[in-house]
Amino acid sequence: MEAGTNGAPTSSRVVHVEVNGERHEREVDARRLLVHFLRDELDLTGTHVGCDTGNCGACTVHLDGEAVKSCMLLAVQADGTTITTVEGLEEDGRLHPLQQAFSDHHALQCGYCTPGMLMSAKYLLDNNPEPTEAEIRKALQGNICRCTGYVNIIEAVAAAAKGEVSA
Amino acid sequence: MLLREVAYARPRTLEAAVRLLGEHEDARALAGGQSLTNAMKQRVGSPAVLVDLAELAELRRIDRAADGSLELGAMATYAQIVLSPEVSSTHPILAEVAHQIADVQVRNRGTIGGNVCWNDPTNHFPPLLAALEARMTITGPNGEREVGYDEFFVGVFMTAAGPGELLTKITVPAPGACGSAFASVPIGKDGTCIVNAAACVDGGAPRIAIGCVAGVPERATGMEQALAGGDLSPERVREAARGLGQALDPPSDVHASAEYRRHLAEVLAVRATLQAAGRAA
Amino acid sequence: MSVPELRATIVAPEEQETEVPQRGFVGQNVPRKEDKRLVQGQGVFFDDVKRHGMGYIHFVRSPYAHAKIVSVDVSQALELDGVYGTLTGDEVAILTDPFFELSTPPGAHIQDYALAVGRVRFVGEPVAAVVAASRELARDASELVEVEYEPLEVVVDGERALEEDAPVLHEEAGSNVVWSGSFDWGDYDAALEEADRVVRIERLHFHRFSSTPLECSGALVEYNRGTGQWTMHCNHQMPGIGAIWMAPSLRVGLDKLRFVTQDIGGAFGNKICLHPYFVACCLLARKLNRAVQWTEWRTDQHQANAHGNERTFLDIEVPVRADGTMLGFSVRAIDDCGAFPRYEPLGAIIWAQVTPGCYRWRNIRVDFTQVCTNKSPVSPNRGYSRMQHLWLTERIVDIVAQQLELDPVEVRKRNYVRSDEMPYETPNGCIYDSGDYARCLDIALELIGYDSLEEKRKEAESRRKLLGVGIGSTLDSGTNNFGQSQLVNPELQFSGNNEVATVKLDIFGEIVVTLGTVPQGQGHETTAAQVVCDILGCTPDDVNVRPGHDTYWNSHAGFSGTYASQFAVTGLGAVKGATEKLAAEMKKLGSVVLGCTPDDLELAGGTVRMRENAEAALPFMALGAILNANNAGLPEDLDVTLNCRYVYRPQFEVPDLERKFGNLTLTYATQIHACVVEVDRETGAYEIVDYAAVDDCGNRIHPQIVEGQVHGATAQALGAATHETFPYDEDGNLLTPNFYDYHVPHAMDMPPLKNGFIESPSPFSPLGAKGMGEGGGAGIHATCAAIQDALAPLGQPVVYDSCNPYNRVWELMRDPAASASLVTVESRDGSRS
Repeated sequence: MEAGTNGAPTSSRVVHVEVNGERHEREVDARRLLVHFLRDELDLTGTHVGCDTGNCGACTVHLDGEAVKSCMLLAVQADGTTITTVEGLEEDGRLHPLQQAFSDHHALQCGYCTPGMLMSAKYLLDNNPEPTEAEIRKALQGNICRCTGYVNIIEAVAAAAKGEVSA
Repeated sequence: MLLREVAYARPRTLEAAVRLLGEHEDARALAGGQSLTNAMKQRVGSPAVLVDLAELAELRRIDRAADGSLELGAMATYAQIVLSPEVSSTHPILAEVAHQIADVQVRNRGTIGGNVCWNDPTNHFPPLLAALEARMTITGPNGEREVGYDEFFVGVFMTAAGPGELLTKITVPAPGACGSAFASVPIGKDGTCIVNAAACVDGGAPRIAIGCVAGVPERATGMEQALAGGDLSPERVREAARGLGQALDPPSDVHASAEYRRHLAEVLAVRATLQAAGRAA
Repeated sequence: MSVPELRATIVAPEEQETEVPQRGFVGQNVPRKEDKRLVQGQGVFFDDVKRHGMGYIHFVRSPYAHAKIVSVDVSQALELDGVYGTLTGDEVAILTDPFFELSTPPGAHIQDYALAVGRVRFVGEPVAAVVAASRELARDASELVEVEYEPLEVVVDGERALEEDAPVLHEEAGSNVVWSGSFDWGDYDAALEEADRVVRIERLHFHRFSSTPLECSGALVEYNRGTGQWTMHCNHQMPGIGAIWMAPSLRVGLDKLRFVTQDIGGAFGNKICLHPYFVACCLLARKLNRAVQWTEWRTDQHQANAHGNERTFLDIEVPVRADGTMLGFSVRAIDDCGAFPRYEPLGAIIWAQVTPGCYRWRNIRVDFTQVCTNKSPVSPNRGYSRMQHLWLTERIVDIVAQQLELDPVEVRKRNYVRSDEMPYETPNGCIYDSGDYARCLDIALELIGYDSLEEKRKEAESRRKLLGVGIGSTLDSGTNNFGQSQLVNPELQFSGNNEVATVKLDIFGEIVVTLGTVPQGQGHETTAAQVVCDILGCTPDDVNVRPGHDTYWNSHAGFSGTYASQFAVTGLGAVKGATEKLAAEMKKLGSVVLGCTPDDLELAGGTVRMRENAEAALPFMALGAILNANNAGLPEDLDVTLNCRYVYRPQFEVPDLERKFGNLTLTYATQIHACVVEVDRETGAYEIVDYAAVDDCGNRIHPQIVEGQVHGATAQALGAATHETFPYDEDGNLLTPNFYDYHVPHAMDMPPLKNGFIESPSPFSPLGAKGMGEGGGAGIHATCAAIQDALAPLGQPVVYDSCNPYNRVWELMRDPAASASLVTVESRDGSRS
């Protein structure tokens, strides 16, 4: 969907987005970051903020199928897009295999990085269903975890890729 | 995290974009936003107007021109460059380096145009494009102009694209029998570079550029001249690099002293040159 | 025996067969109860909590490291549309009292308020606060607050801060010294006499860094002007101590402060000293009669919240026998706590929990001084104070081994406390409860293939890499005896320790547990359920452990919280005690119903039943229903509530203040790590190519959680050893104020970890378990040792700093003599080398 106009710049704008299958139409300040739009205005608080420099990846969401950091994007830039957040991972009320694998492998402790980690991992598996360990590490490079040392996260992603998750 | 007020426009045509950039004082083009947004979050940069280039599909093109050169639209993302068949068939080094930049989320949004226009001295592309002798096409109210990389990079965070102008295209000359390589010492794997170097070898004098040591990528001209003609044996390349560091005036910061950067410049210039030579062979 | 028909429901034997739970969930990797909500994005972190009409707080922070505040003008900020109000230091000075200081004089005289009063002492210090209708607007308004400063001379170096002419941060204190004291155990002078050699190290430096939990700090604070009570939805990890600081400052009783947490995005000690910020929030909520939220951003956190203690060790002296037996050491330590002490000077004593490290050193002399500088205040940080000290002990071992040309493995084994000496009393009276350090070391060495090390060195050399191996041997001392605080201040009325849990059986037979702890990812809900279900004869799924902590509804004790490696001992000790009480009550009630004695009964399969006749059984639901809702006819003297509270209290004595002697912690978990690095000969860049972590924390309640803690502590240590550092320029500006420059390890940086373990049960803890979450920073020590080993062929440089980024390693390579000159060896025949 094209959301552009050749009109004058404005300090706020009506934004149309589809988030986790639900359509929203909101007027948003141009300066508002997508992550704050999702958290504060759409109440999707699963997407987290862990830094202020775009390094930590806790705010990772999918924008038209691509993993992006929602703190590195203005909400108005997302106009016309389809967004998936961690709240949209479950299918038919069942945990996504990655969510289950994270639990199986103790890939989370405090759980703060987990939503972003899951979204990056899902982006990897969407594009590379049989990743090597090196590819998993590379795919998670933009997500900081301070609790796990990544060991179990990497195992969990590998297990999810192989379909080895508990029922 | 909290930006100053800003006005936002998302034009549908290049003409409109250029017009908007010219019309508004303190207007800035917004490409992938992976650096600009950060600066705005810290409020160290707060443009009054953002002109989002997202709708300008023509700026996302990656083409091989008739003369064999590679034309990269300024809005081509790192992710696009990594996967582009045109890139891999002409200058695979661009894909190799793009793959080292930041992380997958940033590569999905960040653009080559944004990378060079931001001209952070630690960026990957400026030295690489210097070694490849790229040319930049800048579009402004008076039409297009093309400048060489050496004219384009002006200083830290500064380029030849002036107010009201837009970088639209980067042209990398046809590779010929060129072998290219990139070497760096980053902070952590594939992290921010402490020093990096790019080299391009195609039979004549190698072209070698060093990054992170000045406001613009520095061509290692002395080393290039010393290596003009003749073989590129490890001994000869090492000998040619001697003194390269002392000719530089790199900054000292929290990650490295100027002295360390001088040293790394020599080591990495050698590594990049030898690897490029190996690839040219 | 017949079963009374009136109240009993009989579980049919066949059903019973299928429902009998497996005994012994403790020790198994049961699924974590916390996980589902967290993987769904349904965790509730403080910033997820909202209120109608809430305002957002933005602090105006000092751009100067040291300056007088001449004036603060908020008038322009107040004129901005959407601004609800402001708070200044002048108001704070009127409305609150300075926070209680733990130190004796001079530190006792320091005045610490919620906002800077009259003077700023570090960059980022809050000077004023603004509340507005949106986050962005609050920041806009904060830029309109005009503060006039008069810059003062800055001191950023701990040693410089002690000099006569150094600028003084707190004039009330008279100097920059917070606390100083000397410790002298054994007979150090005799040890010097006895030594064949004395190794002297001029200086070692343990750097500043912090665990930087991914969630920064914050709170949503509400004030009820009818009740005069504040509710803080927050991420304070130790609300008990938070309230002790805040309530007197706010001039209210403890119960006026309600701390509510559910999920906390990591804390690692860094969320203990939030009281200045929270008091500002409380004042604003009351002043504006509105819920207010403060969200700390990463740059704020790095600049102005919680760094780990920086410590410089001077004039280290180590008497050694010719065979490598070390007799002890002496050292002068200068600990830099930044601009305000806050939790300090406890760090000036906490290290003494591990005075001789893992070693049989009997003669130790420490001169300890803690100073203020114009840098961010410190706070406890994973491995708090012991990590710094253990780095010293490990550096001593490796430097002595290097100087005397001894094998670091052999030296360690010669000096380690031996398993047959356990429990072992250290020279300062601490009791190492159990462990086998030498065995752990053997396992670690096997995991990294130590036997084939020389071949690996040669292979690396062929790639122009220098390979090195290093060991880190540490202890994680857990379950503090707070009596040690009296060693820094005899007036402090703290000693011992305690923790609380409640367990109840509810009307439908639900088992509900509340904890006094405030977890941040340690899996307390899960491990508590394991302990409960084993005692009650059911499964973890049958046990509801309330997530999070609410000081109104969770019973808590004076030392409640989640800190200092103690949950497996104190938290689970309390859970065990409460559950045993409940079990006894359930049997008592069952005996009345079933007409027998409690001893005739057992808990199994979700029932209380006759030992001799499993058919005579009451399901938990019946017990819960009978007592709670169908209790007519129960004996009048039946003292059963089915809602049991237990306070676990480890046995401690107040230390001997004269000798500074006594047991300071209950358990000692062991970490022996081995690290293999490859250093690039040309650049000094290095990579950890192999790594083993062997842990002994006694009985493991949930092995997966234990391993997870080991992984995390290791990652933090490796980050600290390589890139994570908080250096300042001479003007007091932090040079790594966010994750852009402060590089924490990511998935590509982390080497594959090999884990090993042994279990030496603690004889002192309720479950034979030991606290182990902090680790002892073994990864830092092992990495330093490995770098020193790798560089040895270049002229024996000495690794003198705990952080070794590539630049520093290159300098060690380029000028090995510079660092080597820090060390001298005196032979007792009088010669020096």
